Amino acid sequence: MTRYIIRRGLQSIVLMWISTLIGFTIYQAAPGGPLQFLSTDPRRSAVDVARLEQLYGLDRPVLVQYVAWVAGEDWFAHVPGLAHWQSGQCANSPDECAHGVLRLDFGRSFLYQGEPVIDLIAQRIPATFLLAFASLLISIAVGIPLGIIAALNRGRWPDHVIRVGTVLMNTVPDWWIGLLLLIVLGSYLNIVPLGGMETIGDGSPLDVLHHLALPAVAASIGGWIGFSRILRFEMLEVLHQDYVRTARAKGLARVAIIWRHVLRNAITPLVTGLSGIFLLVLSGDILFELVFSWPGMGRLAYEAINSRDYPVLMAVFIIGSFLGILGLLLVDILYGLVDPRVTYGQRG
Amino acid sequence: MAEGTAALPRPLEAPALARPQRTYWGMVWRKLRKDTITMAAIVLLLFMIGITLAAPLIGDDVLGFSPISTDLYQRYKPPTWANDAWPTFQEFTTTCQMGTGCQWSLWPAIWSSSLAGIRSCLVAAPGTCHWLGTDEAGRDVLTRGIYGGRISLRIGAYVALISMTLGVAAGLLSGYYATTLIDDIVNAIIMTLGSIPLLFLLIILATLFTLSPEGLAFLIGIFSWMGISRLIRGQIFSLRERDFVMAGRAVGCTSWRIMYSHILPNVSSIVIVAGIFNVAGAILVEAGLSFLGVGIGPPLPSWGNMMNGSLGNFADAPWLVVTPGIFIFLTTLSIFLIGDGLRDALDPWVTETKSERW
Repeated sequence: MTRYIIRRGLQSIVLMWISTLIGFTIYQAAPGGPLQFLSTDPRRSAVDVARLEQLYGLDRPVLVQYVAWVAGEDWFAHVPGLAHWQSGQCANSPDECAHGVLRLDFGRSFLYQGEPVIDLIAQRIPATFLLAFASLLISIAVGIPLGIIAALNRGRWPDHVIRVGTVLMNTVPDWWIGLLLLIVLGSYLNIVPLGGMETIGDGSPLDVLHHLALPAVAASIGGWIGFSRILRFEMLEVLHQDYVRTARAKGLARVAIIWRHVLRNAITPLVTGLSGIFLLVLSGDILFELVFSWPGMGRLAYEAINSRDYPVLMAVFIIGSFLGILGLLLVDILYGLVDPRVTYGQRG
Repeated sequence: MAEGTAALPRPLEAPALARPQRTYWGMVWRKLRKDTITMAAIVLLLFMIGITLAAPLIGDDVLGFSPISTDLYQRYKPPTWANDAWPTFQEFTTTCQMGTGCQWSLWPAIWSSSLAGIRSCLVAAPGTCHWLGTDEAGRDVLTRGIYGGRISLRIGAYVALISMTLGVAAGLLSGYYATTLIDDIVNAIIMTLGSIPLLFLLIILATLFTLSPEGLAFLIGIFSWMGISRLIRGQIFSLRERDFVMAGRAVGCTSWRIMYSHILPNVSSIVIVAGIFNVAGAILVEAGLSFLGVGIGPPLPSWGNMMNGSLGNFADAPWLVVTPGIFIFLTTLSIFLIGDGLRDALDPWVTETKSERW
């Protein structure tokens, strides 16, 4: 078990490293380079560009830029032979040195007048987590009962209704369903607010809950469809096991069989489903946050897209990947703890 | 020895036993033909493909609008047939917002004026009736919807091709050479792609590089083969231990030959079904990206970017949201149903699901 956790932990570190590589490559490969936002300014001259490149350290070799981006450049001064690789602004004043992604320094936003990116994200991330966990709760609360009902009534009308319903939901983008709900419930019936996270001047939990309801329901659609489908499949597997037949034969109550023998064994694969939801929630969120004007990370990213604010985009990508990788690690470890049948140390 | 065999009667040659040849695909077709839902879905999909292929014809001759010509006097026009009903409908929704209860008595008026609108639109000359309204630049939504299918369906088809090719190649190699370095590399790639937020990566890439529909399809394609690859790997893992593979090895087939002509046909049904589902998935992803404004850019219409312009205005112009969504719904629904039907039809051992009570 310990060996498995260590191996998975190392694997996760490698994955994080790869994701920084991907992020950095995109940043470098962007047409016009990182200073592209300047190219629309007619007053800039070649001298200005060279000066800025020197200032931001963009004239250094790519490898040095990568190291400075990931690990920071403030320690360059203390290592002999590296001092001249510091960027212009870092050499001028040590306060301006990059601390690197590993120390959560993602540089400064172009759009928000040089505000540190990490501050922007710190402001937005609670809203994203709130939406993510609310939708996860709804997915569990809706998906698990649906899965159980469908499995217990296999091939009969409740199963068909649930299957048809989930297929229909799957055929349209879930943010589109959210948009329709918003038009009908928010705009025509005025039951829910049209967007945002709280009424200005009123930040009470009840008010936030009122704003949260519709986005959370819309964002949970993908989740409970997935949960109910996995659970139906797993329960059907378990229902045909010998020990279930034995339990029935010895006259155990139906509820007890389902609750203690079937559900207990069928529900563990849902844990692996959680990791997928983790990723989905963090990246797919951007569409819901846009539709519902939810002030989270996704909306920040959307603004960054429109203004080509690369530092913010990269930061959201890196943080999203890191959270995704850690979530996956967590789920894998959890899986072993919940399901005693899982053995570690095997290849696969 | 030779005389002995010649003397024996040859039992299977008798003409009495001749019957129509049953090929695999013949069987698939027979099963499909009996499956009403799948046949209906095929007809629906063919209809969608048909109207998008005939889009220039329909746009010019039947509807009388171009998908890109703007008319600033016609911005945000409700569907013409419902033009008279629209103010009444808005009045109705206003009564709902008041909290005094909706005024349902307005509905007969809404019905009768929209029916009258439909009647007058049916006889109107092409180019006068916006059946599904106009968008923020005064373009006809129905025309754009029909043209938008060209992009969305094309992207769906390309993505399916790319992801099937990559998925089959990766799955075959990693399944056949399971627990070797090749398998490890493929698994590492899948794991990497599985643990980063792909939709967000797609959004960034589509932002940085202004993409043609083909470019976007390529981008979506290289991020959507992992599922197919995993499926195939699992299948091949068990297939490669079967006797016919052993027999192939024994007679000296190369690994390529075994993979290509012995193993691949056995997983072809899985590949086809997964590819079909990928078409629908790609259409949904494209819609999301274009809705964000990073996929297909205007003036080219796609089902996603038609909704992009509606964001600030969805309450006053809901037809901008509803119409593209219904186009997407009809297409992906038919694709899902076809995929489901094909899964059963392609599987020679499929049995009826028996209903059971628990």
